[in-house]
Amino acid sequence: MDSQKKHYIITAITLGCIAAVAGGIIGLTNMLTKDRIVQNEKNKIKQGITEIFGENVAVSEEKTLSNSYKYVQYYYEVKSGDKLVGQVFRTSGSNMYGKISLMVGFDGNSQVFKGLSIVTNEQTYATTLVENYIVPVNDGNRDIEDVSCGATYGAKLVRDMINEAREATGELMYD
Amino acid sequence: MTDKIKREKGYTKANFLKGLFVENPLFVSILGTCPALATTKSLEAAIGMGLLFTIVLICSNVLVSLLRKLIPEEIRTPSYIVIIATFVTMVKMFTNAFLPELYSTLGVFISLIVVNCIVLGRAEAYASKNNVFDSFIDALGMGIGYTLAIMLMAIFREFLGTGAFTFGKIFTFIPEVKLQIIPKGYEISLFQTPVGAFIVFALILAVIAFIRNRKAELKFNLDKQEKIRKAQEAKLKAAQAAANNGGNK
Repeated sequence: MDSQKKHYIITAITLGCIAAVAGGIIGLTNMLTKDRIVQNEKNKIKQGITEIFGENVAVSEEKTLSNSYKYVQYYYEVKSGDKLVGQVFRTSGSNMYGKISLMVGFDGNSQVFKGLSIVTNEQTYATTLVENYIVPVNDGNRDIEDVSCGATYGAKLVRDMINEAREATGELMYD
Repeated sequence: MTDKIKREKGYTKANFLKGLFVENPLFVSILGTCPALATTKSLEAAIGMGLLFTIVLICSNVLVSLLRKLIPEEIRTPSYIVIIATFVTMVKMFTNAFLPELYSTLGVFISLIVVNCIVLGRAEAYASKNNVFDSFIDALGMGIGYTLAIMLMAIFREFLGTGAFTFGKIFTFIPEVKLQIIPKGYEISLFQTPVGAFIVFALILAVIAFIRNRKAELKFNLDKQEKIRKAQEAKLKAAQAAANNGGNK
């Protein structure tokens, strides 16, 4: 084997080793942190439901929907005593500006929007989206369809997520 | 031997301090401006960003320095990117697990440390040519320099934009405190927007340029005065020598 071939092989092996070790370390870090991350997310979901429906409510276990949706993943039933007060849908979506996950709440007996809460927001214009769209929509000061807010693409995504969750409430009502 | 130790001690100090002032990555080299503009709305976020950035910079510099003789020339840059990306991913996972508020505040800018010119730049320009200790000191200096720079920007932006300093919102392990300095309604919210970030950045750069120009001007004037003084002395000596020669004749 000539020296050039040997050099190429050594180069490839070195890069392969670095990538393999890097992959191993990332895997190990994932093992160490995943439980905590899942727990944090659960806490955030619980906190989000409390933000939408207040503290004196009971939340069901995670429930799946029969239809498949683009953004809506699963939902929770929110009850006050035996009375159903609403549903909260866990939605997740992404566009070219990044990923966003929301909890979208609706009244249990109608399709009236109750509010939303952010689980993760990795959008590039995250703060603009929150301040100019999500918070005003949540407070009822902005129409859900009014997406021109300085983070329009993010707002469009959130609007589509809310509308899809509303569509999913229909499925639950007809059940 | 003593001289060598003294020189090395002096070198370490200079190596550390250069990142803080003379070669500050943000204000002198104008590198890493994207996160500096995006994450300086609050002092706490800036501290968090600076901390994560410094950790990544130190770890990548040390590892690059350790592996500098093993990595062939052709795959230097891809290897450095793999190393940096690994540390950024680790930092991102740990932040998500242990500081979720910081993770959600900084969002995509944690991942963007991978493409930060300062990290790859220091690996390429310094760590790949120097020993582990010097690379560590270089990364520490640059990391602290960058952190202080973004903290300075955040102080102006949070103070002028909200009229207050808030602590404990991102680092939830400390109690939440809000120091309202400017009465509500008198704050200039422009400084919380990207426009405000550019204005603050430009003003700080202008002040630094003014100080540097002033120093250079002062040095130039002193040199000029010194030259004039020397020329006058030489003239005087020449005149005296001529007078002495004339007297002797």
